[in-house]
Amino acid sequence: MSKTWHGADRANYIWYPKIDYSKCTGCGLCLLSCGNDVFRWSDQKGVPVVANPGSCVMGCTTCAKLCPEDAISFPDDPKNFLKQVIIKEKVFFAVKKELKDRLDKYPDHRVSIEDVEAWKKAEKGDANARRS
Amino acid sequence: MPGEAKPDFSKWHGMDRATIQWGPVIDESKCVGCGLCVIQCSEKRNVFGYDEEKRKAVVLNPENCMVGCNNCQVACLWDAISFPDVSGVKSLAKELVDSGKSKEELEGRLKKNPNLRLQLPPRFFKRASLEIVRPSRTVRILP
Repeated sequence: MSKTWHGADRANYIWYPKIDYSKCTGCGLCLLSCGNDVFRWSDQKGVPVVANPGSCVMGCTTCAKLCPEDAISFPDDPKNFLKQVIIKEKVFFAVKKELKDRLDKYPDHRVSIEDVEAWKKAEKGDANARRS
Repeated sequence: MPGEAKPDFSKWHGMDRATIQWGPVIDESKCVGCGLCVIQCSEKRNVFGYDEEKRKAVVLNPENCMVGCNNCQVACLWDAISFPDVSGVKSLAKELVDSGKSKEELEGRLKKNPNLRLQLPPRFFKRASLEIVRPSRTVRILP
């Protein structure tokens, strides 16, 4: 089954990291930080390799942000990229359903803003009380 | 989930997550309640809650937010989500590399999961950056 992004077929979009090997020092942080199994490791050169580009989450640039050498690049302007996908694919039909499913599965995430603000205040109060 | 161990996000590569400045802040005046951020965040981290009456997303578990990830912000059409500047996280990443911690973790990961290792032909590295033209599929580069 092909991957989808809120109903949109992931295979229709080009979004994955490119590694500039003239900058890469082989620290491995990109491989360690990716939660979607995009990278593999080459022992010969001691560098990461983009092996599963289709698994990369559209709009995600976490590996590039963490890369200490700025050796990873993505298509320009992730925000505009996703905006085009959102509009073209009319994802909000799927989003509405996925939101309901998520809240049904995790009912404690169905909240009121006032309650959350009150909890946060109480937590802060607790922390202050412990400190003093 | 009942019976399932809750994932532990209290440490980030050995650092205390609570000391790291990284997480979303919602400007409620801009949020239209589309809910995309809520589901954009992975189910296991589940940073957001949602107020159905007011139709607004709420940051519920900021400490679960993955360091360096801002996928919710990128997806928000209304620019209602902000994050701290990325330079702080970048310098923490540098620390991980300089201290040898990332190397150590990488070796552990490769030992635990040898499938992560690839054998590549030498010509592969002649190009400075790799272009894969079939992003839709898992590209297997094996001997």
